[in-house]
Amino acid sequence: MTTLPGTRRLLTTWATLMALTLLSMVSARLDQHSWQALPLWSAGLVIAATGFKAQRLLMVYLNLRAATPAWKGTFVGLVLLTLALIAGGYLAARFT
Amino acid sequence: MSERTLPRELPNPGWGPLSALPGNPLMWVLILSEMLVFSAFFALYAAQRVGATALFDASQRQLDPLVGGLNTLVLLTSGLCVALAVEAVSADRIRRARQWLGVSMALGVLFGVIKGIEYAGKFAAGITPETNAFFGFYYGLTAFHFAHVLFGLALLALVTWRTSTENVETAAAFWHMVDLIWILLYPLLYLLR
Repeated sequence: MTTLPGTRRLLTTWATLMALTLLSMVSARLDQHSWQALPLWSAGLVIAATGFKAQRLLMVYLNLRAATPAWKGTFVGLVLLTLALIAGGYLAARFT
Repeated sequence: MSERTLPRELPNPGWGPLSALPGNPLMWVLILSEMLVFSAFFALYAAQRVGATALFDASQRQLDPLVGGLNTLVLLTSGLCVALAVEAVSADRIRRARQWLGVSMALGVLFGVIKGIEYAGKFAAGITPETNAFFGFYYGLTAFHFAHVLFGLALLALVTWRTSTENVETAAAFWHMVDLIWILLYPLLYLLR
């Protein structure tokens, strides 16, 4: 049996995840009626928020913080690789 | 050997390299493999988008990012409820754990209803998986993810019936994986334009 995150940490993480989701939605400027490509800072903010959400979900919801640094690094590394693929594809589509 | 130099107790002794992972080690193998599968699809999507940027941009315009965002909020809240169920069952509060699992399943069903409404709207507008490459990815990725949601709901129902710490932890890990995939899928399909 491993040490669980605890109710307080879970609620804090949930609030963070909700706030970051709303931040992503605002960063993508969903309030704009006219559809246009995102400015780079906005796309960067969406990707950064997504990465932080995935990290918090892994560490707290999935309790990966109880694992060894090697496993933490493996999963966070895979998330970063996935985000690099998403960001790379987005940038390549924008600038080629 | 002093207490300070003793190695940390492993959560799953006897599982070799997986013994340092919390919960059911096999679930972590599944999570890792699912992340790799979805990453491969994301890479394919990225490559296809580079070759047909105008088509992907025009098609992405047909999606409603608010609906996708709402579903993200629903799924993340469902994940919280599952995590609270794990906390409850670990404290031998079985009834409370079942209540949290019930709320989590209700939110999972709500995710499915929102997704169903979204699909219905697209089909009513004549947008199908055959419409173009973007919608092939849109339907393919979201339907594959939705299949995981349905399987996760079945797992949650099963552990609500057979409630034990190990069972709830295992189902919760699967449900969080469903959350994790959606977190990555949402910006790819709905936000990054």
